Amino acid sequence: MTTEATPPTTSVSPTTRQVWTRSRGIVLAFVCLLACAAVIATLRSDARHGALDPRSGDPYGSRAVAELLADHGVSTRVVTTLAEARTATSPGTTLLVAAPDLLTERQQRQLRSATADSGGRTVLVAPGTWSVETLAPGVSADPVTSRGSTLDPDCTLPAAQSAGSADTGGIRYTTTHLDADECYPSNRLATLVRVPDTTGDGDTVVLGAPDIVHNDRLDEQGNASLALQLLGSRPHLVWYLPSLSDTSVTDQDEEKSFFDLIPSGWLWGTLQLFVAAALAALWRARRLGPLVPEKLPVAIRASETVEGRARLYRKANARDRAATALRSTTRTRLAPLVGVPVTQAHTPETLVPALSARLHGEGQPLHSLLFGPPPADDTGLIALADHLDALEREVRRP
Amino acid sequence: MALTGRTALLAALGSLPVGIWEPSWTGILAVNAPLAVACACDFALAAPVRHLRLTRSGDTSVRLGDTADVTLTITNPSRRPLRAHLRDAWPPSSWQPGTDIAASRHEVTVPAGERRRIITRLRPTRRGDRQADRVTIRSYGPLRLFSRQGTHRIPWSVRVLPPFTSRKHLPSKLARLRELDGRTSLLTRGEGTEFDSLREYVPGDDTRSIDWRATARRTTVAIRTWRPERDRHILLVLDTGRTSAGRVGDAPRLDAAMDAALLLATLASRAGDRVDLLAYDRRVRALVQGRTARDVLPSLTNAMASLEPELVETDARGLTATALRTAPRSSLIVLLTTLEAAPVEEGLLPVLPQLTRRHTVLVASVADPHIARMAAARGTTDAVYEAAAAAQAQSERHRTAENLRRHGVTIVDATPGELAPALADAYLALKAAGRL
Repeated sequence: MTTEATPPTTSVSPTTRQVWTRSRGIVLAFVCLLACAAVIATLRSDARHGALDPRSGDPYGSRAVAELLADHGVSTRVVTTLAEARTATSPGTTLLVAAPDLLTERQQRQLRSATADSGGRTVLVAPGTWSVETLAPGVSADPVTSRGSTLDPDCTLPAAQSAGSADTGGIRYTTTHLDADECYPSNRLATLVRVPDTTGDGDTVVLGAPDIVHNDRLDEQGNASLALQLLGSRPHLVWYLPSLSDTSVTDQDEEKSFFDLIPSGWLWGTLQLFVAAALAALWRARRLGPLVPEKLPVAIRASETVEGRARLYRKANARDRAATALRSTTRTRLAPLVGVPVTQAHTPETLVPALSARLHGEGQPLHSLLFGPPPADDTGLIALADHLDALEREVRRP
Repeated sequence: MALTGRTALLAALGSLPVGIWEPSWTGILAVNAPLAVACACDFALAAPVRHLRLTRSGDTSVRLGDTADVTLTITNPSRRPLRAHLRDAWPPSSWQPGTDIAASRHEVTVPAGERRRIITRLRPTRRGDRQADRVTIRSYGPLRLFSRQGTHRIPWSVRVLPPFTSRKHLPSKLARLRELDGRTSLLTRGEGTEFDSLREYVPGDDTRSIDWRATARRTTVAIRTWRPERDRHILLVLDTGRTSAGRVGDAPRLDAAMDAALLLATLASRAGDRVDLLAYDRRVRALVQGRTARDVLPSLTNAMASLEPELVETDARGLTATALRTAPRSSLIVLLTTLEAAPVEEGLLPVLPQLTRRHTVLVASVADPHIARMAAARGTTDAVYEAAAAAQAQSERHRTAENLRRHGVTIVDATPGELAPALADAYLALKAAGRL
């Protein structure tokens, strides 16, 4: 029974070379992907994206107007946080709020408190109902926008008059200030509103559409002239682009987050625990060899067909068949006991007299028990089975 | 390559110094960098798995129910000691359910340049060949932080033979055989027995056995003794078709039939008869022919080891033709099949006369004790319907058996535990009657 096996080279793990041969295609594809991504990123990195960005050369950027202003000696500074925008307000500064609707209500209030009576100019580009009433109190936006884009000045504001018609059509505003300039009206509602501050010579300009500062529209109509006069009235222009990285979006002062409250030791300790969990996952993930497959034999019980037949009888309420089967079996067993040949076990004329002679009993109940009609209900069937058993016991008793 | 739990534990403990003294990236780095270096050292110091040399030796066959020991010899040719966790994988049926993980995993330490043996103990749960799968070895470094892992494939096969549990009936059946064999004084004379010798009459002998001619020549009364014929041919035919797949108790019908066939083969070979085996469903699955008495049991168990029931209807015509080709002259053909009405009436009955014309035919069938239990069920509606269905099945079985008997076939119908002795008794009865 014991024999010795000869040792061939038995290792089936792939060698380093095999691993490299198998995986180099994937590695190559991944490197290509990374290279392409790097090339694309490098090629397109100079073009800054984002509408109304004074650094962007896109059709919807505003580099053209910023450069024109620089030619006229106006410096442009881009700020992205509220704090920077607030500190930048001064009498010599124009503050352009590129997308006032992106500011939260609290930011709007803070910005307004900084710009009101600062002496500088505040230009709000297309503020909607959400922001205009906070940033320029007394001005409200009409829910219906103007039909056309190019409008005529139709007011006494010198900048508007000298610029002539311009693409200011967009949101239309009404104001309750009596001394406000309402220009470029569309259906009697102005799309450019200048509200002077109550004190000082600062003012707030509400612009219905950003078109006049877009690169691609700057050379049309009087857009360039209007933009230069609105934004170039002060030596400095602060271009406020609201951003998501602005921490003033969250209400720092009022409530601190959970992570700010727990000590940093806990946070770093948890990070290290995550590292440990990752290592534990790697430890548990590596299995000690694959599962071994095996062909399983079929498992059918030999009695399955009989059980199935029993369930069919039950479902069909086949009391007649069941009773016949039970009676026939009992008759076959009883016949040899009372001296009747098995071939004649199913003839009542032979079996019943032999049985009643053995039991000294009546023939009639025996006849109905062994050869009678099928029982009317299930209780009758159960009783029949019990009576047949009792009869057999009676016959077998010595 | 694989990490260990110790690495993860150390990393988890590292969260304490990080949290208490240095809650920053520096702290994280200070904990994890030494851990990574330790892992790298461990990897470098672990014995390489690829260069290990593994060989197998040990048992190649085992009776079902016994244990087989397969030895795996691991030689470590490297200069680093091997500390390894090893899994010797075999198919799941090589072990009792639930014990496979404990039985297949081994811890082994092999110093540099030496070799060690480990023993995998198999306790198969089914007949057939068990092929060894791969051996996976995880070699740890001295710190047990990191490990190398690799697999080797060392082919080995263990053949699981039928258990032959009916061996326990063999002594009593052999005793019966000796009674027949003329070695005891009780002689039964039957048609077809052959003349053995003359001996002196002792009171109690059958007076019909007295040989008057011999008595005339000598002064005492001489009687003839007889012994059963020897060197008869027995062909065991195992039906491996769909009806043999049905499970009676825990095992398929085929296993019970094999057990009975093995007892009969052993008994017959001791009685001086020649035993052949044919396993058939739609083609020949196994054929054992012309073995000597000493050789017959090993060759039969070997041939039966890999037999599995096939889920096809048995081709009775082909079976008969093959049996007629295999059985040389008037033999005893023992057909181990089932007495279910449909396969017998449609398959076997039409071709049975071809067999019975030249041979003695014995049909052995495995009865299901569960059906007997069902037939006795009473009390509830379901139970009575079951009893009726079982009674119906039993009466069909009796009718089939009667049909076969009418063709001169001897029938043995018994539950798995009783089939083997019942078949042996039937064989002895046939032998005593000189019908072989």
